[in-house]
Amino acid sequence: MHISAFQVLSDPNRLQIVELLLGDEHAVNDLVARMAIHQSGVSRHLRILEEAGFVRMRAAGSKRLYSLRADRFRELDEWLDRYRELWNARLDSFGEALEQKQRRRAQKRRRSTQ
Amino acid sequence: MTKQLTFERSYRASLKDVWDLWTTKSGIESWWGPGGFAVTVRKLDLRPGGELLYAMTAVGPEQVAFMRDAGMPVTTEARVTYTEVVPLQRLGYVHVADFIPGVAPYDVAHLVELHSSARGEVRMVLTIDAMHDDEWTERAAAGWESELGKLDALLS
Repeated sequence: MHISAFQVLSDPNRLQIVELLLGDEHAVNDLVARMAIHQSGVSRHLRILEEAGFVRMRAAGSKRLYSLRADRFRELDEWLDRYRELWNARLDSFGEALEQKQRRRAQKRRRSTQ
Repeated sequence: MTKQLTFERSYRASLKDVWDLWTTKSGIESWWGPGGFAVTVRKLDLRPGGELLYAMTAVGPEQVAFMRDAGMPVTTEARVTYTEVVPLQRLGYVHVADFIPGVAPYDVAHLVELHSSARGEVRMVLTIDAMHDDEWTERAAAGWESELGKLDALLS
């Protein structure tokens, strides 16, 4: 997976493009009409999304139609799943460390009152 | 798709004990490392823009063998950059997630929120955002921003 995948999607304009493409494929002009930025910006963001593998383009006559590539998003989900597992294990250790800390303190208190 | 991961845990403990586990050398070393790895904090600068530097050393036989077979040193260094520090309440940081085979390193934003409940428990909410937005970026350290600048240059 390429380093920039999350950075690519963290841009609000690119995220908006992804959301617009969720329902259907769109030509650049369709997207421009729905967004607050100029065509050059939309084209630039589409190129970035395409290079990162999130979007594919097909030519239909003189039109270039853009759509999402599901496999790339699935990859990100899998990555997040692995991260979730890691943190669950880490938080188990956190809880154990916390208990140990409290147990040690209780022992010390018991000793000092004896 | 999921944009964020959220974890919630409750502990019968004081806010200070929970906070200290996140923010002190001995606290971090007591739980941070994955199983079979020992963590040594080398530098801890707890303020927005400050860094936590630590070393992770494989100590379990399996982990030592794994690192050796993978051609990696048994000790690796890692860095966390703090973005928000509100004692006993909120701790924000960015951390490079660089431990997953086949996946290039990512900067991931983490936020820890502590709440004390009426029953004398501490509710801890950890939010992990691998697609952190501009707000996170603004809070982050200057060094982190220049990293992003490099990425932007690569992308444009």
